[in-house]
Amino acid sequence: MFTRPAALTLLFFILSALAPTAAAESWQHENGTLTLEDTPKRVVALNWAATEALLLLGVTPVGVADLEGYGHWVQEPALPESGVANVGTRVAPSLEAIAELEPDLIVTSAEMAPAAGLLNRIAPTYVISVYREGKDAFDQARKMLLTLGDILDRQERAEDVMADIEQTLAEQRARLAGADLPRRPVALVNFLDSRHVRIYAPNGLYQTALKALELPNAWPHAGNFWGFSVVGLEALADHPEARLVALSPTPPGLKQTLAESPFWTYLPAVQRDQVYQMDPVWPFGGAYQVKRLAVYLTDALLAGGTDNVQ
Amino acid sequence: MSNSLASAAPHAPTLPARLPLVAAALWLAALLASAAPWLGELSPLALLQAFADFNEDSYASVMAHFSWAPRVAMAVLIGAALGLAGAVTQQILGNPLASPTTLGVAAGSQFGVTVASLFFPGLLAWNADVPAILGGLLAIGMVIALTWRLGFSPVTVILAGLVITFFLGATNMAFLLLKGEWLGNLFIWGAGSLVQNNWQPFQDLWPRVIVLSFLMLLLMRPLQLLQLGETSARSLGAKVAWVRALALFLVVLLSATVVSRVGVIAFVGLAAPVLARLLGARTLGEKLFWSPLLGAGLLLLADTLAHWASTWGDGSLIPTGTTTALIGGPIILLALQSIRNTHHMPGQASNPPGFLPRRRSASVIAGVLLVLLAATVVISMGWSPGLEGWNWTPIPNWDDAWVWRGPRMLAAILAGVALGLAGTLIQRMTGNPMGSPEMLGISGGAALVMVVVVLSGIEAGRTVQIMAATLGAAGALGLLILLARKHRFAGNQLLLGGLALYVFMDAGLRLVMAAGGTQASKLLNWMYGSTWLISETEALSLMAVIFAISAVLAIIVRPLTILPLGDVSASSLGLPVARVRLALLLLAAVLTAAATVVIGPLSFVGLIAPHLARVLGQQTVGRQLIVAGLVGGVLLALADYLSRIVVYPNQLPAGLLAALVGGVYFLWGLSRHGKA
Repeated sequence: MFTRPAALTLLFFILSALAPTAAAESWQHENGTLTLEDTPKRVVALNWAATEALLLLGVTPVGVADLEGYGHWVQEPALPESGVANVGTRVAPSLEAIAELEPDLIVTSAEMAPAAGLLNRIAPTYVISVYREGKDAFDQARKMLLTLGDILDRQERAEDVMADIEQTLAEQRARLAGADLPRRPVALVNFLDSRHVRIYAPNGLYQTALKALELPNAWPHAGNFWGFSVVGLEALADHPEARLVALSPTPPGLKQTLAESPFWTYLPAVQRDQVYQMDPVWPFGGAYQVKRLAVYLTDALLAGGTDNVQ
Repeated sequence: MSNSLASAAPHAPTLPARLPLVAAALWLAALLASAAPWLGELSPLALLQAFADFNEDSYASVMAHFSWAPRVAMAVLIGAALGLAGAVTQQILGNPLASPTTLGVAAGSQFGVTVASLFFPGLLAWNADVPAILGGLLAIGMVIALTWRLGFSPVTVILAGLVITFFLGATNMAFLLLKGEWLGNLFIWGAGSLVQNNWQPFQDLWPRVIVLSFLMLLLMRPLQLLQLGETSARSLGAKVAWVRALALFLVVLLSATVVSRVGVIAFVGLAAPVLARLLGARTLGEKLFWSPLLGAGLLLLADTLAHWASTWGDGSLIPTGTTTALIGGPIILLALQSIRNTHHMPGQASNPPGFLPRRRSASVIAGVLLVLLAATVVISMGWSPGLEGWNWTPIPNWDDAWVWRGPRMLAAILAGVALGLAGTLIQRMTGNPMGSPEMLGISGGAALVMVVVVLSGIEAGRTVQIMAATLGAAGALGLLILLARKHRFAGNQLLLGGLALYVFMDAGLRLVMAAGGTQASKLLNWMYGSTWLISETEALSLMAVIFAISAVLAIIVRPLTILPLGDVSASSLGLPVARVRLALLLLAAVLTAAATVVIGPLSFVGLIAPHLARVLGQQTVGRQLIVAGLVGGVLLALADYLSRIVVYPNQLPAGLLAALVGGVYFLWGLSRHGKA
């Protein structure tokens, strides 16, 4: 069929397709394959979970999306004061700003899928979504951290970070077990106003923290893929057995409004003085936020409850 | 339906029996549905008692007294207030598509709450009503100030109201997109929720509603005079402008007052009076009596459905704004069957726009616009902010700059041209100044499919996005043709049908927004035009489409000059009316669909550009088309440029900037011509 040289050429092409040149390495991701010749030095992160993962690995990104928001909401791990460029919002970053940074790796999620082609024109793109329909956020976050560790040649650091998180979780579990606390399910809420809360569902990072602390979640329904549902305050009344943990910050004036509302004062958790206030943490981040959730939740529960938010 | 309505002659002195019957049935159904979930735990008597007091020992009783009863009371109160406000608005403006929302109340109130949440959180904690009411008053204040000199002709009031709505609405969206995390409450507020856990809001609200409604009813007689038509009203001594201004002020005060407590409850103010009219309310007295009753029943039913849906699903909040929209849509579709006269509605008819700008030479205006366009292109390509600050890109480097600045600019210009053309076509065809591709529901259809895609959790790549938009636009078009065939493709039926589609889209949008998360921001970004996602190929194919359609348009522009004269005269001039309408509709739809993919469904360039063309002195169809197309192009080119530079490196959607830029210019034009 084939002439000999032609067959050889074909074989060569097949082989080179299967085994790229020795230096190049490949990683499968959600939107294709990432192939890199060298370890990337200039990385741009287009969401906060990716920013967090890079910082955990000791890699300072050259550009991140919504720099100011990260400092306000995520806080830890902290970005350096200067030297990191802001490339725009997380929903619609400025492609021109990203291109100007001349990155050699862009880390983003499947939410950026409509811009995938344009991003790939700038630099090789690694796509991983911590938050995605049908995926466990913590598994995804761990996968992101370990894979980025591999891509950026910091495997050991990645392993250390994960080990540290696991160890902290075990410590918090021990702290809780040591204290004599009521064994009741916990409902974690963010007050959006005096009538509505964001309640954290059994399918987000918060659940991972709860599981590690061996606490049941009072809210039984699955939330959106970020792991929460927006509900009216009256939905809490259906779960009289729950302890209530309010995530700071709360809207101004909330405490007084609630104190004046008999609906609130008759709420079983309020009657039992089981409203706990928890320090602010970003529940939609990566693996590191699970550690913070667990620590702050343990702190809050150990500090004891009152009959109102603080 | 239409037959029976046709037989109910407008002069029939007695009220049709079905009006009280339907109202009673609506109330009964709503009350039963609302009470049903409680009957397992409490006796009907105990449930009735829940409105007065509660039994400390029974938690169900506490819940009924502090959660269910105030919610029912609020729904009735707010529904009635919005129904009344809607009926008065439609009376003042003589347009069945008008509602308090049209006057900018909702957008204004949301603006007030947004600004307070971001910059004066203390004010919001002290009194949540004040920012919302101030915002509402700001909106109507702007409308009144702009139209004062024009004597509040209904058409100018509606236009100014719409422009203010888009203007403030766009500002609100910009805040939500840039500061979404800080505005969690606004996402719910914008979707409307009647959740209560206290009697306080109701007790605050009812005296205000009663007083304002009473004041409004005092205006009934002067309002009745308005119905006789402007000239006769003036000769009878009613100071038309003052009556209108006062009535509008009261409408806004009432709407903003209720909105401040529960957020934007969409479409009750529109649907209640439409339903009253549909069921046979003819005189002003009948409308003012039945609209609040129907409004209260509608809102109670809608809120109950929202509550049910919340408890049936995974417990997450279904905002009341979603269900009111789901109920409002079909009512508007029903109304479509009943409005028989094709072109002229009361108040709209004899009022060609309230100002007639001086005619200007088309070639001079077009020339100026082309120069402006060229200037925008040059500045947009060359002068840009970078990470190191502003800099000028020398022309030899434009090759590189083109990749990031070119395709989006080209696509924006083309979308602007398309919307300008489509808007002019639709306004000419319908003879309604509120007519625009947005109002025709074609962009609404595209948006609806996108909302469904987002709700279903599919991760849409670029291809899926474009296909969804095209599919939605085509589907909406098909539906419109189906609806319109009965009405020989006549104007106002199309507008109502389009409005109904828009209403359904709105229901989904509110649902997504209330759910929070990034889906909302993603959707808003797309809705207001993600020009930043445009690739070169897309821009070039868009160019081919727009050129082809413009060529066809040039051939068949003539019928447009004849159609608004009325079906009879058009037919007598030898025009196959229905077929011409279909052809024009198709062209407008394809233009809109092409533009919507680029700029999203909410830029309102299609509404603004034709009016701007008229403000610029273009009266004849051909000239208006050309100038409106150019205006649209300039507007969106400018909007796209601004969208990437004003908050660099953040981006705002270009359609949003277009609403801002176009709105400012339009308002300026309106006020300037008022002085002349």
